[in-house]
Amino acid sequence: MKTIGVIVSGVVALFLTIAQFGTAGWTRPPMVNQQHGFRGTGMDIIQTRAGAAEIKAANLAPTPADPVEAGTDKAGAVYENVKVLQDLPVEEFNRLMVSMTEWVSPQQGCTYCHNTENMADDSLYQKRVARRMLQMTQHINTAWKEKHVGEAGVTCYTCHRGNRVPAQIWFDAPSPTRGFIARNNGQNLATPSTGLASLPYTYLQDFLAKPEADQGAIRVNATTALPGSPGKPIQSAERTFALMIHMSESLGVNCTYCHNTRAVAEWSQSTPQRTLAWHGIRMVRDLNADYLTPLTGVFPANRLGPKGDAPKLNCATCHNGQSKPMGGAHVVEPYPELAVAPATTSGPQGVPVPAAQ
Amino acid sequence: MAYYQNIFTQVQVRPRVPEHGIPISADARVGKPFNSYLFGLIGNGQVGPIYGGYLGALSLACGLIAFEIIGLNMWASVNWDPVQFVRQLPWLALEPPLPKHGLKVLPPLNEGGWWLIAGFFLTVSILLWWLRLYRRARALGLGTHVPWAFASAIWLYLVLGFIRPLMMGSWSEAVPFGIFPHLDWTAAFSLRYGNLFYNPFHMLSIVFLYGSTLLFAMHGGTILACSRYGAEREIDQIVDRGTATERAALFWRWTMGFNATMESVHRWAWWFAVLTTLTGGIGILLTGTVVDNWYLWAVKHGVAPAYPEVFGPIQDPLKLPLKATGATP
Amino acid sequence: MAMLSFERKYRVRGGTLLGGDLFDFWVGPFYVGFFGVTTLFFSVLGTALILYGAAIGPTWNIWQINIAPPDLKYGLALAPLKEGGLWQIITICAIGAFASWALREVEICRKLGIGYHVPFAFSVAIFAYVVLVVVRPLLMGAWGYGFPYGILSHLDWVSNTGYQYLHFHYNPAHMLAVTFFFTTTFALALHGSLILSSTNPPKDDDVVKTPEHEDTFFRDTIGYSIGTLGIHRLGLFLALSAGFWSAVCIVISGPFWTRGWPEWWGWWLNLPVWR
Repeated sequence: MKTIGVIVSGVVALFLTIAQFGTAGWTRPPMVNQQHGFRGTGMDIIQTRAGAAEIKAANLAPTPADPVEAGTDKAGAVYENVKVLQDLPVEEFNRLMVSMTEWVSPQQGCTYCHNTENMADDSLYQKRVARRMLQMTQHINTAWKEKHVGEAGVTCYTCHRGNRVPAQIWFDAPSPTRGFIARNNGQNLATPSTGLASLPYTYLQDFLAKPEADQGAIRVNATTALPGSPGKPIQSAERTFALMIHMSESLGVNCTYCHNTRAVAEWSQSTPQRTLAWHGIRMVRDLNADYLTPLTGVFPANRLGPKGDAPKLNCATCHNGQSKPMGGAHVVEPYPELAVAPATTSGPQGVPVPAAQ
Repeated sequence: MAYYQNIFTQVQVRPRVPEHGIPISADARVGKPFNSYLFGLIGNGQVGPIYGGYLGALSLACGLIAFEIIGLNMWASVNWDPVQFVRQLPWLALEPPLPKHGLKVLPPLNEGGWWLIAGFFLTVSILLWWLRLYRRARALGLGTHVPWAFASAIWLYLVLGFIRPLMMGSWSEAVPFGIFPHLDWTAAFSLRYGNLFYNPFHMLSIVFLYGSTLLFAMHGGTILACSRYGAEREIDQIVDRGTATERAALFWRWTMGFNATMESVHRWAWWFAVLTTLTGGIGILLTGTVVDNWYLWAVKHGVAPAYPEVFGPIQDPLKLPLKATGATP
Repeated sequence: MAMLSFERKYRVRGGTLLGGDLFDFWVGPFYVGFFGVTTLFFSVLGTALILYGAAIGPTWNIWQINIAPPDLKYGLALAPLKEGGLWQIITICAIGAFASWALREVEICRKLGIGYHVPFAFSVAIFAYVVLVVVRPLLMGAWGYGFPYGILSHLDWVSNTGYQYLHFHYNPAHMLAVTFFFTTTFALALHGSLILSSTNPPKDDDVVKTPEHEDTFFRDTIGYSIGTLGIHRLGLFLALSAGFWSAVCIVISGPFWTRGWPEWWGWWLNLPVWR
């Protein structure tokens, strides 16, 4: 009996050890040296050379379509029911349509959005969504150019990467299953959204779904050494920590990319990337609230989350494991029509959306 | 050939007749002693007997109740799925009440009530165990150093789960029961209060923790090195110094110019170990109650170093003039 | 001169590893030996360089003095003295002093006819230090990954290096190391207490107790007493394990793991039995 016990536990321990060595995803040198602060502070980005090359290869920008000779006919005049790009020369318009097909639905082609019998037909929900997404792209490339996306800009490909639905989207987390005692504070489950920590997994809907009334919602540190007004509970710090893990993993960086973690709250000791990230958070909230959530009624049920909410975006949607999406390639340059302010701000189904302020 | 003591012994120490302990008036010892090969590899092979007694029985019962409450709550949080219970066990927890319940004595069971009940039983269990240690020490005519050292650990436990939450006015400040969740709590606690590394009592606690480890390496090494002279018979050596003590003392004297005695090294040991949790508890207790941001506290007192600026001055976007800020452009 | 009453008969010649009788003498309570001289050399030089580093630095505030390693751009090369070169020389001095100290302990052990347990234990600590400032930087490819020499600055390094892996508490070797540190301290408290309680009994029963009392106390309370020799084996094992796993937990962070440590646990979640 005793011998059997010893053998069984020995075998299990051996099996677990092998599994751990074999499947955890260990890496090995050589490393890339990327210092991100004063020497000796430990503010470094940690990557192996192989890992860095792999990420780079997985995030190549697509080759832009060949330029076309623009004529004088406008798309709005030639085609029916053009609502966003009416003023674009029809040749440019067609070029963009071809590119969009490659970016979003390379397999399905035009039919993913269009009824080929009548290209002007709006019956497919994909077309109505795409129209709104075009406006969103223009909005990002203009309103958020200075604060977040810079000269690189975004195209449909930045998120879609050849998929009909971008791989990195999120829905509201389902409520804990009801049972005898089903409260877990919205945390303590093994979920990839928190980078497998047992931190709260509701942080995306808490922080990124809509513009926050409280601009300091993410901030948990006291701003004075000694206690003044009642501070925030530890649970708030855990939610913020979860968001920061999300941001780090989305960008393939670590906390020291933005913070000197000896004083995470101190702006004066942070890196310029923190400012970019701060605006990025506002951008994501803006896009989720003004562009994605209003599409809830347009999407069919199978595109909605377990709570019936629209798919939303977060940092990973564009960044996909890189600090600059697609290595910082200026993807919007070959498509200047995507870098103009949307002509109309009307939402889906013609519902006017309040102008961003 | 010299006889050499190492981590594992080749000789299993097994009494021919099991030792039943010093006979005293209250010696309700239970269990038939047996020899364990595994234990014999490093120390005495004999396991048992154990003193029964109602304090120990009550303590175990309370501990079992707390353990069950925690385990069943964890199991419930994966909807009673036995496989997921094992798979996700390190992630699962019994969380303290939500902040909105403050210091409510019994919030709804599934909103922290179970946590309070489990905490109550665990605390009772620990306190009863303390009493058991104390009474056994007295019964055997020993000093009460063990229970008082244990009290220092209980102090840290009570600060974390009871005293500090009381002072903060909310049970939600307490630590969850769970493997990864208590690590998350620890990290979040440091993040919330501006980096615990800057808490001087945390510094002290770490110093004593590392110091204790250093001391045990030094002391354990010294005794093993001198075991060929009988150094492990420490009580004998204390009351009647032999060559083992002399060599042990001279080793340190010649090495670092100072030596403890066979007795005083145990005082060093006791204080280092006891101060680890004592200062740790003070550090936790002051956090949030007396100091809200340890980094800023350290800056205020000229402790935090300044590093040359690598990037241009970075400013809080919320502090910039209104025109340049705003949630959306 | 500074000798204990029984000390003279132990002060015999011999047992040296190097230098024969040349350095076989005492200064005050200290034994010198060849390695005493090298210890002195390295520690004086290292300390002087630290003082020099402080002097050319911005502060004499003891908490804030910081001797930082070089920028990563210098890789494994030597850096200019004022840009991390000092750190490199001080590191060499520290390793020289630590190793000399351990070898001097060996000589003292030989002189006293006792086992080498203490120098062995000390070499585990040296190993942990060398892993931190030599092995890991070598694996990572730059001396700049070493920790800075400063009371608070090394804490800042620990903080940032921990957050390079998002949540260091999930590092399995760190978990082991912390557990060993706590367990060692726990065992030390119990051992220290037990010896003190036997030799300092309460006033009403003022007789020094025996190892039988010690065994009885622990058998009575928890059902097992490890014994007078065993506790020292256990203590040494726990303490050395703490140091060893500390070294492991940092050397795997970076060279062998670059992501957040919580993600490491994916292998457990993905075991074929329940994936």
